[in-house]
Amino acid sequence: MNISTSSSFTRTLVVLAVSTAILSACATAPMKPAGSAEVRAKLSQLQSNPDLANRASVAIKDADAAVRAAETPRQDEPLARHLVFMADRKVDTARALAETSLAESQRTQLAEQRETARLDARTHEADTAKLQAAVARADGAEQKLDAEKSRADADAARANAASSQLQASEQQQRAADLQKQIDGMNAKVTERGVVLTLGDVLFTSGQASLQPSAAGNLNKLVTFLANYPDRTVMVEGHTDSVGTEDYNQGLSQRRAEAVKSYLVGQGVGPIRLTALGKGEAGAVASNDSPDGRQQNRRVEVVISNPPAAAR
Amino acid sequence: MNRTPRILLQARLPLAVVLIVAGVLAGCATVPPPAENLRAAQQAIANAERVEAGRYAAADLSSARTKLASADAAVTEKKMTLAQQFADESRAEAELASAKTAVTKANAVNDEMKRSTGTLVEEMKRGSGDKQ
Repeated sequence: MNISTSSSFTRTLVVLAVSTAILSACATAPMKPAGSAEVRAKLSQLQSNPDLANRASVAIKDADAAVRAAETPRQDEPLARHLVFMADRKVDTARALAETSLAESQRTQLAEQRETARLDARTHEADTAKLQAAVARADGAEQKLDAEKSRADADAARANAASSQLQASEQQQRAADLQKQIDGMNAKVTERGVVLTLGDVLFTSGQASLQPSAAGNLNKLVTFLANYPDRTVMVEGHTDSVGTEDYNQGLSQRRAEAVKSYLVGQGVGPIRLTALGKGEAGAVASNDSPDGRQQNRRVEVVISNPPAAAR
Repeated sequence: MNRTPRILLQARLPLAVVLIVAGVLAGCATVPPPAENLRAAQQAIANAERVEAGRYAAADLSSARTKLASADAAVTEKKMTLAQQFADESRAEAELASAKTAVTKANAVNDEMKRSTGTLVEEMKRGSGDKQ
């Protein structure tokens, strides 16, 4: 009986000692491992960043779990260091992934900004060119007036001289008339026929509708076609290389059609007219400079050379 | 009163022996190398190399390689826990190298886009300055 009591007492003592030891162990190691607080701060910064917190959510969750493991107080110091290291790298990785996702999502907007800038530049270019053309037109009109006066004098003189050579002069006169009309239209005689070039300032920028200023030049063409009913006309639209090929093809076609329908509206038989969009392929100048692109944006009206008149 | 605990004690004795023997056996049995962790680290390093992390996050990639070598060395010394930790750290470093590379490349693309837009705007401003 005595022995039994003493043994039970001893057991109680042992239990007490053990539990005290366990409790004291817990009491001496409540400290979070070194470095874990810094990693937690880094993670919190990422999680509170509104641009990044909702991106790379799997990686952030992973990092969060790693940080929690790193914060747990441990007796095994190498293990604690290892876990802090892991958490640190995972937080950095999560941030890099979130930043990548953010950068990628910004691209749509950047592409739109670039497109807007490109359109602005193009409109601006056209506006500037329009202004220059207006100034040039004013100069040209003055010069043309002088030239026509002297040409009229010359014609009169030629008519006088021609009275003796009636047959020769008749043909000469016809050629002179043609040349005069061609000159009046600012057209050029080429092997394809007489080519009249309408610059893109005669169109609303990026569109196919004709500006009122185009009427002057086109009306001369109408008169010319009325005088030479045997001639047919090819209306060719051209653009520069800015924008997609499809867009440019469509724009050039619409511009050519606009010129054709204007001419039809002025009484030119539609059967004599062909409208053709040539897109950006028929460049006459380099597309690398604004001036070159300006020259490439145009509509060419090619008046056929009939075999008889070509001579 | 006296007998009961003794019977219980006798019944528990074999159980305790079995437990102790099992524990000793488990302790003595060779722990296998952390093959899965080592493979994952190698894979992560290979991925990082493929995305050119050597160019964009050289320090992290090099640290990943060093830690993988340390893991292999720990396996040779039969320090399997250490080997597993080195392998995991190597993998984390390699994954960080890949992520840093990705963010550098993504930002470079965006910068280039911003630059070309800026050039267009600049060109337009200069153009109007020349002509007016």
